[in-house]
Amino acid sequence: MAAEDLPSEFDVVILGTGLAESVVAAACSRVGQRVLHLDRNSYYAANWASFTFNGLLTWIQQHHEESQPEEVQDWSSLLEEGEELIYLSYSDSTSISNLQVFCFTSEEDEGEEAQSPDPPNTTEEETAANGDEDAVKAASTDSTNEDPKDKIKEVTDGEGEGQQTADSEGVEPTADLPRPSAIQGQSEASRKKISYAQLVKEGRQFNIDLVSKLMFSRGSLVDLLIKSNVSRYAEFKNVTRILTYRHGNVEQVPCSRADVFASRQLSVVEKRKLMRFLTSCLEETEEQQAYNGRPYLEFLCDQQLGDNLEHFLLHSIAMVTEDTPTEVGLASTRHFLRCLGRYGNTPFLFPVYGLGEIPQCFCRMSAVFGGVYCLRHSVRCLLVDKDNRCKAVIDSRGQRISCSHFVVDSSYVATEQKKVTTPTRFLSRAILITDASILPSNSGQQVSMVTVPPIAAGFPVVMMVELCSSTMTCLPGTYLVHLTCQSVGSAFDDLSPVVTKMFHTPETDDQETRPSVLWCLYFNMADGLDVEVEGHNLPSNVYLCSGPDGHLGHDHAIRQAQLIFQKILPEEDFCPPAPNPEDVLYDGESLLPTGGGGGDNSGWGEKGEETKENPQTEE
Amino acid sequence: MAIRELKVCLLGDTGVGKSSIVCRFVQDHFDHNISPTIGASFLTKTVPCGNELHKFLIWDTAGQERFHSLAPMYYRGSAAAVIVYDITKLDSFQTLKKWVKELKEHGPEDIVVAIAGNKNDLGDIREVPMKEAKEFAESIAAIFIETSARNAVNVEELFQKISKQIPPLEHSEVDSNESFKLTRQPAASTRRCC
Ligand SMILES: Nc1nc2c(ncn2[C@@H]2O[C@H](COP(=O)(O)OP(=O)(O)O)[C@@H](O)[C@H]2O)c(=O)[nH]1
Ligand SMILES: [Mg+2]
Repeated sequence: MAAEDLPSEFDVVILGTGLAESVVAAACSRVGQRVLHLDRNSYYAANWASFTFNGLLTWIQQHHEESQPEEVQDWSSLLEEGEELIYLSYSDSTSISNLQVFCFTSEEDEGEEAQSPDPPNTTEEETAANGDEDAVKAASTDSTNEDPKDKIKEVTDGEGEGQQTADSEGVEPTADLPRPSAIQGQSEASRKKISYAQLVKEGRQFNIDLVSKLMFSRGSLVDLLIKSNVSRYAEFKNVTRILTYRHGNVEQVPCSRADVFASRQLSVVEKRKLMRFLTSCLEETEEQQAYNGRPYLEFLCDQQLGDNLEHFLLHSIAMVTEDTPTEVGLASTRHFLRCLGRYGNTPFLFPVYGLGEIPQCFCRMSAVFGGVYCLRHSVRCLLVDKDNRCKAVIDSRGQRISCSHFVVDSSYVATEQKKVTTPTRFLSRAILITDASILPSNSGQQVSMVTVPPIAAGFPVVMMVELCSSTMTCLPGTYLVHLTCQSVGSAFDDLSPVVTKMFHTPETDDQETRPSVLWCLYFNMADGLDVEVEGHNLPSNVYLCSGPDGHLGHDHAIRQAQLIFQKILPEEDFCPPAPNPEDVLYDGESLLPTGGGGGDNSGWGEKGEETKENPQTEE
Repeated sequence: MAIRELKVCLLGDTGVGKSSIVCRFVQDHFDHNISPTIGASFLTKTVPCGNELHKFLIWDTAGQERFHSLAPMYYRGSAAAVIVYDITKLDSFQTLKKWVKELKEHGPEDIVVAIAGNKNDLGDIREVPMKEAKEFAESIAAIFIETSARNAVNVEELFQKISKQIPPLEHSEVDSNESFKLTRQPAASTRRCC
C-alpha cells in the first residue's frame, strides 16, 4: 500500500491521542468540524496508553534509548508572505524518567529444557529489553548455573545505581536497565510460579496501563461517556472493594450500608457511629462550617469516632491527608457517598481491557464522524501569521496542512514555548505482576482500590489498585497491581518500601504468605496538573493539553477538553449523543434515550437512578 | 428465541468495499458514492441461526484503516472478522496477510475469520484468481467467499457462513462481577457480544 498523502485542509488539527485530545477530537468531529488527529507513536493514547506485556517491554526499551536529535530542516520554502515558523520538539524526552525493572521469577518453566541457538554470553540488559522469546531463553541458559543469591545481589546493585541516576538531575538513565533475575529452585514450595517466559508467551493477555486511575461512577468522565454515547464502545466492571493498609495488615473498608452491617471488624458501637456519621455528612451543618479551614482530621477527632473509623474516613473514604481542610474533606466524602450504589457497592468503575481503551473510544467516535486518523505521524512546525494565529502546520513528511485551530499534547511543545508557574512535579508509579491477591477471596476475581497512608513520616500517600484477570488486564493466575503517588524522590525510592512491606520479593525472605512479585516496573511521569490550556508563548489559536495528572479521577482531562472545545466552538454543544445504530438505519432520526429506571440502592441518602445492562442470556 | 449479540469487525484496504458490504447486508442498498458511514459506528442486523437469533453488531473501520491506524479497541470482543479484498486489485489481496497478522496481534484468540473477495461483478478485469485466494483461506482455516456488494451476490451467504461457525454459547460464566455497558436507561434484554 503506497503511503497516501493527507488532505491539506482541516478545521482542527490535533497532535497527540491522550484523553483530553481525544475528547476534543470527538467533540469537534461530532458537530461537523473537519478534524485531523495525529500521534507520533505507533499506538494510541500517549501516556494514557495500555500495553501488552511485550508492548510494555518495547516501551521501556524506547525510553532507554537516547532520542536521536533529528536535524532541524529548513521549511522556509513553504512559508507564505508574512509568516513565521515555530518548531515543535521531535520527541518527548522529559515526561518519563527513572525507569527500573525487576524480574523476580524464574526465566523458564520449571522442568523445561532451555534450548537456545544463541551464544550464552548475551547480556541480560539486552535480552530483557528485547522481550522476545529467543532472547529470554538465551538469558535463561545464561543464568541456569548461577547461584540464585548472586542474582538477587545483582538486582540490589541495580537499585543502588538507579537511585544515583534519580538523584543526578538531567542525566539519561543508563544504569537502571531491566535486569531479570533467576531465582530458580527457590519456589518448589507452595505456589507454582509463573515464569518470565510464560509472561512473555502469554503477554497478549496483559493490558498494562501507564496511568492508574479509576472512574467515579458520578464523575465527569462517566457522565460524558453516557451523554455522548461513546460508552457503547466499552464495557466496565465495578471496583468490588475498598481496602486499606493498616498496622501491617490489609483490611476491607466498609462503605455501603450493606458493608457496614456485614462488617466483622467493626463493633456494634462503631457501626452505629459510622452509620450516623455518614448519614449526617450528606448535609452541610453549622457545626461543620465551624471547622472550615481547620484540618478534617480535627473534625473527625471531635466526632469521637475512634481510631478505626477515623482511619477509614480520612484515608479511604475522603482519601485526603491529615492536614486537608475540613470543607475539602467533607466535599470529597460527599462525592464518595454520592457515587456509591450507582452501579455497585463502591464508587468506582474500571474499563474492561484497561483505561487505555477510553481515549481510543473517543477517537473512534471522532472517526465515525469523519475525523482522519494517522499514527506514526507528527507535526514539525507551525506557520504563524502577523496576527499571531497558526494558519497551517507542516507535518513530518513536509506537507503543509492548513487549519483554523491547533490542539497539542504539551510534551510536543518545547520548554521555551511553555509557561509554567511551578517547576514540573512528577508522579511516582510502580506496576507489579503478582501471583496472588493481597486479600484473597473465594472467587479470586476482586477489583480492589487500596489506600496506603504514609508508611513513615516524609513518605507520600500511596494509591494502589489491584486488578484481577477478569478485567482482561492480566493473565489468569496473576494480578496486576498499580501504585501511584506524588513524587518525593524517584519512583523506586517512594514506592519500593511499600512494595517490600506488602508483597513478597527476594529481599523479604520469610514472607511467603504474601503475594509474590513476579515482575515489576518503576518510573516517574510528569504530573499534568499544572499545565494550562492557554497563556503560553504560542499563537492564540493553539491550545495545550497536559498529560495525565495524579488525581484518582479524570476530571482534570475532561475539564481541559471542554474548555478547549468552548474556545474553538463557543456556540456548539459539547458531545451531544450520537445516534443509535438502529436509529441511523430505520428512521434516520436520532432518538434521544430517556433517563429513569430503577437501580440498586446501596448508597447513602440518594437513590441510584441508573442501572447497568445486565448481561443476561435469554433462553 | 434467544438473541445473541455478535460483534463482527471488517478489515481490509480502503476502497475494497467494506462499507458497501455492510450497507448491502444491513440495508440491502448499494450506492456508488457511499458516504463513509457518517454517524454509524456500527450497524446491526438480526438473522436466525438454528434455534437462536444472531444479532450482528457490524463494526466498520470508520476510515481508521486508511493510514493504518486502527485502534486495538476495534477488535475487542469480536466473535468474527471479515477481511475483504478487491478481486480486481492484486495489491489488496497481497495485503491480506498483513490484515491476518494484525488480527492475530489484536483480535481475540478464538475469532472466526472470513475472507471475502469483493467486486466479483467485475470478473473481466479480475487480477486475483479465485483458486489462489481459496487456497490461502484454507491455509489459515478461514471461511472464503467471493461477493458483490453491487449486485447483492453472496453477501447474505457470507454472514450465514459466519453464523454457522459461531461456537455454541457457554453457560459456565459465574463471575459475580460481570462487565456491563453504561446506559441511561435499563435495557430490557441484552447480552454482551461473545
Ligand atoms: N463494481 C463494484 N464496485 C463496488 C463493490 N463494492 C464496493 N464498490 C465500490 O468501491 C468503492 C469503495 O467502496 P467502499 O465500500 O467505500 O470501500 P471501503 O473503503 O472498503 O469501505 C465505492 O466506489 C463502491 O461503490 C462491488 O461489489 N462491485
Ligand atoms: Mg469504508
